[in-house]
Amino acid sequence: MLTLLEILVYGAVQSAVYALLAIGFSLIFGVAGVVNLAHTGFYMVGAYLIYTFFSVLGLNLYFSLILAVGLTGVLGMLVQQFCIKPLIKSEYSVMIITVALAMFFQEVLLSTYGPVDRNLTNFYDATYKLFGLVTIDAQRLITLIVAIILIAFLWFFIKHTRFGRAIQAVAQDNEGAIFVGISPNRVYLQVIFISAALAAIAGALIAPTLGARPHMWEHPLVRVFICVVLGGLGSFEGTILAAVIIGYTEVIVSFCLSSYLGELVAFAIILFVLTVRPTGLMGKRAVS
Amino acid sequence: MSDFLEVESLSISFGGLRAVSDLDFAVERGEVVGIIGPNGAGKTTLFNLLTGFLVPTAGDVRFKGKSLVRKKPHQIVERGIARTFQLVRPFQQLTVLENVMVPHLSPKNRRKNKHRAENQKRALNILGQVGLGDKIHLLASDLSHGDLRRLEMARSLAADPELLLLDEPFSGLAAKEIETLSDLIHAVTDRGLTVIIIEHKLREMMKLVKRVITLDFGIKIADGTPEEIANNEAVIKAYLGKGGEKFVTSRD
Amino acid sequence: MKQISYTADQISLPPSPLHWKRFRPHMVAVCLLLLVPLFIKSTYVIDLLILCNIYAMFLSSWDLLTGYTGQISFGHSLFIGSGAYTAGILSFYFQVPILITVPLGGVVAALFGLLLGIPCLRLKGPYLALATFAASGVLAALTAVFWEYSGGEDGLYGIASVSANYVVKYYWSLSLMIVICGFLLFLVNSQYGLILQSIREDESAAEASGINVTRYKLITFVLSGFLAGIAGAFYSHTQMHVGTDQFSLHLSIMVVLMSVVGGLGTIVGPIVAGFLLILLNEWLRVIEVVRVLIYSFSVVLILLFIPKGIVPTVISGIQKGIEKMKSPARS
Repeated sequence: MLTLLEILVYGAVQSAVYALLAIGFSLIFGVAGVVNLAHTGFYMVGAYLIYTFFSVLGLNLYFSLILAVGLTGVLGMLVQQFCIKPLIKSEYSVMIITVALAMFFQEVLLSTYGPVDRNLTNFYDATYKLFGLVTIDAQRLITLIVAIILIAFLWFFIKHTRFGRAIQAVAQDNEGAIFVGISPNRVYLQVIFISAALAAIAGALIAPTLGARPHMWEHPLVRVFICVVLGGLGSFEGTILAAVIIGYTEVIVSFCLSSYLGELVAFAIILFVLTVRPTGLMGKRAVS
Repeated sequence: MSDFLEVESLSISFGGLRAVSDLDFAVERGEVVGIIGPNGAGKTTLFNLLTGFLVPTAGDVRFKGKSLVRKKPHQIVERGIARTFQLVRPFQQLTVLENVMVPHLSPKNRRKNKHRAENQKRALNILGQVGLGDKIHLLASDLSHGDLRRLEMARSLAADPELLLLDEPFSGLAAKEIETLSDLIHAVTDRGLTVIIIEHKLREMMKLVKRVITLDFGIKIADGTPEEIANNEAVIKAYLGKGGEKFVTSRD
Repeated sequence: MKQISYTADQISLPPSPLHWKRFRPHMVAVCLLLLVPLFIKSTYVIDLLILCNIYAMFLSSWDLLTGYTGQISFGHSLFIGSGAYTAGILSFYFQVPILITVPLGGVVAALFGLLLGIPCLRLKGPYLALATFAASGVLAALTAVFWEYSGGEDGLYGIASVSANYVVKYYWSLSLMIVICGFLLFLVNSQYGLILQSIREDESAAEASGINVTRYKLITFVLSGFLAGIAGAFYSHTQMHVGTDQFSLHLSIMVVLMSVVGGLGTIVGPIVAGFLLILLNEWLRVIEVVRVLIYSFSVVLILLFIPKGIVPTVISGIQKGIEKMKSPARS
């Protein structure tokens, strides 16, 4: 019983992080047709920034968060404007330059902070017992709650605000959006800001638990990619569903078997799904 | 029916939509047939079914006595059917000459073209016929639309087909270009090649064909000579509009 | 009705891409490489050149799959790693001689090529990239699960060496490189290469031209895997070690970046870029602090400003220069 509850709770945390990451990735693809392989690079930058501001410099927590997330968002906009926009015509060029950028971020962080794992201080030091049985530390709990709130907020934002509708317009018909006075380029910049910011938040939230390493962008990238493709590139609901599936699968297999087997299972799932449904469970067709 | 091309009760549905419904017709060797109909009538879908790009949900297609259904496109090309695409699909980064060399490398043609020089000579010959002989070194991405249509034609001829399917070959062309392409198609049909043409440019098409099949909503609504079609009430209502005879002129 | 036909003699046909005269610069380069050990005695430089030869094989085998056939692969280290581990395990546990482990490494990698190629057949663009991303992860998981045999995180040390003499090692690596890269150059310039390019340009049009796209894609996955596997197996014998870095995502990405910098779809481009980047990487070690920044940043710059890659840009620059010199009167 305890194990089941533990799986329920830890699976939720894992899924929440993946969902936060995957949503941003899926968003920029759905809207701009961009496969941004530097996305988890933003996650990493966010983690290192909060480490610098909060753990090293000792600044106020909320201030550090805002600074870390904001700066990463701006970084995202710079990447969009100077690296992605010139190459937008070729899908594979965008993939290649963004992966090069991810490596560049890695190298910058490596030479600045060194290869050693960085331990971040928790936001709050506390442990709770959920349902009276499951022990969970504050950091993980905060991660879960913040992630859920953000995702709900984002969903509402996209479906019900004017800005959200502008995003949908550009996603559905680039040129048509121009005709009604929406600038696609401005929307792309805004969307990548959101996307990078979300990734940074995910990094900042989970880094105290996992630590920060210059290679930390590699492992989640494949996961995020799996979530987004499983759920279908460009589908909000599909991505969340896939994140939950992948998150829980990992936790279940880790608990019951070895954690490496979890990886194998995840990969097997993705190869199987792609063979059967080349555009993912719920996906829009890829821009090709 | 026919022992050349036989289409029997051919149907395909996408979701709830029946794109092609219970199609029956036959084409004899050497015939030149036109297919007309409003947009969405199922014309290109029919071509996709005939060439293996789509699998029908019901019915059969038989070419020279053997069924084509569920065969892959390259296998159907092997058997002798070639096609052009409604929106041209050149090999952009290859030269004009190289574009036409590719179909010569299919299993059927490969033995004759083992040596590059042989392949080049044959490709050059075809390009000369379509009027692209002076452009063989250009990249396909540098060609004008009219030249791309000719390249499309050259590629389909290079596959050495017995049945040629042309999907809106005149689309986007100016009058002069249509004339040259039309002459080419005429030359090719004179040599005995069986051709089926989808076109919206009716006047030009009617000059080439001896028989017209009309589709609407995936159903065959008429099948006859150009004169018969022009005066067919159902066709006039669905597609031609009043005064359909003006599309039919006497042939040279 | 007009007759519009030309006779073949009126038009000049392009010369065969396999004509030997085209390969004079390549032959010069090979000669230079053959002569290196006569003039340079430093083990350090020779070892570096051995690495360059090995990377040349990694990159050119990747270019066959991605540059020529259009199958974007972020999983090349799957092939390299499976070749390396096959050789490593056979050598470490069973003392199988190198002359056998290397080809066997290629065969195992070729099998992985088939296993990866089949699900990838229907995939395009980002979906294909993902499938290949995930590919090397499978190997990572396998070696982790069977850590008692594979040596886990550390890998296996003490694998048979190619030779104690570093010059002999160098010539082995050079010979292998010449054979594999030479074969690839021959292949892509033959009519087989034309077929692959047609698949890259437009699969449907290639099918409509009678090409069995599925078969050619699979053959290319297998061939690319086989060659990379051989290189990977050889690599583990030069390092006398096989480890997780040989199927890492990092390696896959480096293969992509180096090849793109050199010029996709040229075979020669990636080889040249491999040599340049490995040597540049070492040269920059002098200024250790900013070395990696300059290195990866230059990759980004090249992608932005020389999108075709170094080699094609340089070649067309040279050709334009020659044209200008030949006809100075032309305005």
